[in-house]
Amino acid sequence: MPLSKKSENTADKLREILNSDDVEYLPLSAANKKATLVFIKDIVDKHGIGEFIIKPLNSLKGSLTGKKLFDTFLSAEKKVVSTIEKTAAEVVGGNTVLLVDGFTYALSFGLKMFEKRAITEPPTSSVIKGPREGFVESLQVNVSLMRRKLKTESLKFININIGNYSNTQLCLCYIDGIADKKLVSSLKERLQNINIDALLDSSYVSKYLGEKKSSIFKQVGNTEKPDILAAKILEGRVAILVDGSPIVLTVPYLLIEDFQSPSDYYNSPYTATFMRVLRLISVLISMLLPAVFVAAELFHLQLIPLSFLLTIVNSIKGIPLSPSYEMFFTLLIFEILNEASLRMPRYVGMVVSIVGALVLGETAVNAGIISAPALMIIAFSGICLYTVPELEQTFSLLRLIFLIIGGSIGGYGIIVALSILLIYLISFENFGTPIFAPFSPIVKEDLKDGIYKGFMLETSSRPKSIKNRNKRRLKVDKMTE
Amino acid sequence: MEYQLKTRQICLFFIAFLPLGKFFMMPSVIAGITGEDCWISVLINILIDFAVFSVLLYVAKKSDANIYTLLSRSLGKTLSKIVLILYVIYFLLKSVLSIYEQKEYVESTIYLNAQNVFYFLPFFIAAFFLCVKKLRILGRAADVFFLITLIGYVLLIALSINNLDLASVLPIGANGFTNIIKGSYKSINWFGDAVYFAFFIGEFKFGKKDRIKLSLSYVISCIMTLLFILVFYSVFTYISFRQRYALTETSKYTTVINNLERFDYFGISCILLSNVIGAALPVFFCSKILCKLIDIKRKWITILVLIGIETILITVFSEYYKSIEDFILNYAGYYYIFMSVILPCCAPLLIIKKDKNAVEIKPKKEKKNAVYQS
Repeated sequence: MPLSKKSENTADKLREILNSDDVEYLPLSAANKKATLVFIKDIVDKHGIGEFIIKPLNSLKGSLTGKKLFDTFLSAEKKVVSTIEKTAAEVVGGNTVLLVDGFTYALSFGLKMFEKRAITEPPTSSVIKGPREGFVESLQVNVSLMRRKLKTESLKFININIGNYSNTQLCLCYIDGIADKKLVSSLKERLQNINIDALLDSSYVSKYLGEKKSSIFKQVGNTEKPDILAAKILEGRVAILVDGSPIVLTVPYLLIEDFQSPSDYYNSPYTATFMRVLRLISVLISMLLPAVFVAAELFHLQLIPLSFLLTIVNSIKGIPLSPSYEMFFTLLIFEILNEASLRMPRYVGMVVSIVGALVLGETAVNAGIISAPALMIIAFSGICLYTVPELEQTFSLLRLIFLIIGGSIGGYGIIVALSILLIYLISFENFGTPIFAPFSPIVKEDLKDGIYKGFMLETSSRPKSIKNRNKRRLKVDKMTE
Repeated sequence: MEYQLKTRQICLFFIAFLPLGKFFMMPSVIAGITGEDCWISVLINILIDFAVFSVLLYVAKKSDANIYTLLSRSLGKTLSKIVLILYVIYFLLKSVLSIYEQKEYVESTIYLNAQNVFYFLPFFIAAFFLCVKKLRILGRAADVFFLITLIGYVLLIALSINNLDLASVLPIGANGFTNIIKGSYKSINWFGDAVYFAFFIGEFKFGKKDRIKLSLSYVISCIMTLLFILVFYSVFTYISFRQRYALTETSKYTTVINNLERFDYFGISCILLSNVIGAALPVFFCSKILCKLIDIKRKWITILVLIGIETILITVFSEYYKSIEDFILNYAGYYYIFMSVILPCCAPLLIIKKDKNAVEIKPKKEKKNAVYQS
């Protein structure tokens, strides 16, 4: 619907559409003409309104033309809107709209001022060496962080609005000339097809991007750090930044990504390789140790060294539960404590630690409800899981599945389940990329940044596991050789 | 034309899966017939297999299509279907014995205290899960599983090395030529692996040095088998035939075991992990042929029926295992020879008649970073 020439009429229509008390309609005059300024009072920069809109408006004299009106304002972000619907969208989007008598269009000024969190180190990926800044909930701040990292005209952002009620802005970020064009266009198409009431977090988007809807494995990568995101899009990935979420999504995703820590790239490659091997072993231990222990206790005593077997026998003497139930309940207690410690207020966190570690743990062992080895194994398995925090939820579920299999079918069940898991992982693809690459299919060049971390100068080409263009990323001259 | 496999994956497939089935019962069966000459019986089978493999390699180089197209093009629809049905029976027989063997091994060795048929059932779920996947996934599996196989194999051989008495395999030919041939004949079920390669024809791009690469990897897989037999016999000498499951027995006398208990079980577990796919290979190829023969939209139903038949055969009729084993080892040998040696040797005839309408296939130049194709 076009705007009326009378600003009051347009303001009335906006009142009808918006019908909310936090919308302010400020009557003004511009060169003897009536004008109305429309904005949502809690999300605009009021000082900016006074300085960049009202002050220049009052200085207007003589006849008023469209060009004169447009040029009067010094705001860097201004645009013309010519329908009621778009004007209303501008207002709810946080912009300030100026309606002036005699004009069938309005001027919209980007003078938003939301409360936002300061840039801090993200809790999920802290480093000893390397940049500490992390993304925040503001899309603009996140975009600025990326612009600061990659000062190139090839860095592109595509804005898309999603959410019938939230109208959340999200942003596709990629490097033109490196990212695969087909990937960008297919991603854009998929995002535009999302029909949802509200997009409250980037994790909502990731559910739409996964090709296997029922999979327990991640299908979209994520990061909270601009340096990691910069590195990822330089490898040919495409990022999705969502307004209101500090977590940025990246596609395509490879499983190995989660075994790579940001500090690996700032430390010596020897340390990085050692750490990655350690993470892999830890994840395997956390997933399999409770299951293998229970299976050994129930079915394969020949696996346990004699002296250790005697210790176990002594410790389980008088325990009323069978090994599998005992381990299952210990795991259940661990998961409950884990969940409670995340949810409860911090000031009672200490109480939970004491109750969990001392009362539940030690007392349960002393009372002969659970054995010390079972408690130790679950505790160790739990700690191991957090060496790769990104996969904590997935492997926590797998640990439970393997424990049930180990307790009911035994060692061969674990072996078969492991082979099924491997077959599943090697056949898993998202956006045409196998998530188990570079190990299956083997991509020789990419193995230099797999579990083994090669020297930076060895990785002169971009990963081949991901579809990308412009293969070379660094040149090694004779001096550096 | 989109290739499902890469040459590297076929090479790793030979190493990862082919030797595994021969580590369980075969060594003791042959040792019972030929004694210290058991390795010669194995060598004869290996040489026959290699000759068949060489013939198929020649066909793969000259061929412009996969085995199904080659068969229907040369033999016509009816005859090609008959050949495929014969292969379905061949793989079914082969799978019955290999899965039986796996089941017996698992029940009597892994579960010392509590044997139950229920413990082996998950294998059929894994087999079904593998069979519904495309050939491409088998190639990818080889990429990962070859490392697991090698870790297990090297560990078991390394743990056995202290107890070797290589002189025990001498003198060569002590048991007589007849016994050696008899040993070869009775162990034919565990060989004939070259046939698998026939189903890879046309599914990979035959490059310049691929003949050497493929032959070399096939030879490596043969050496792995031969070395295992030699180590096994050298450890147990004249009582080898009593050690029914070589895999568990070979390294059990190592001194490491005194300190760490059955540390060799780590290696055994690695071999068992790879052998979940290894033992399911005949069913996998059987299912692929059946899916070609029975043209229905939901191919998983065909596979489910096949796996169901296998499950019933192996669990319900497990009491008759010995009779089935005896029948296969004594009487099915000629059928095995026909299917795994004679018929594959006729494969060059398939490439004589080329499709009149066939245009020379020039595959699209593969993008180097497009790994998703394999």
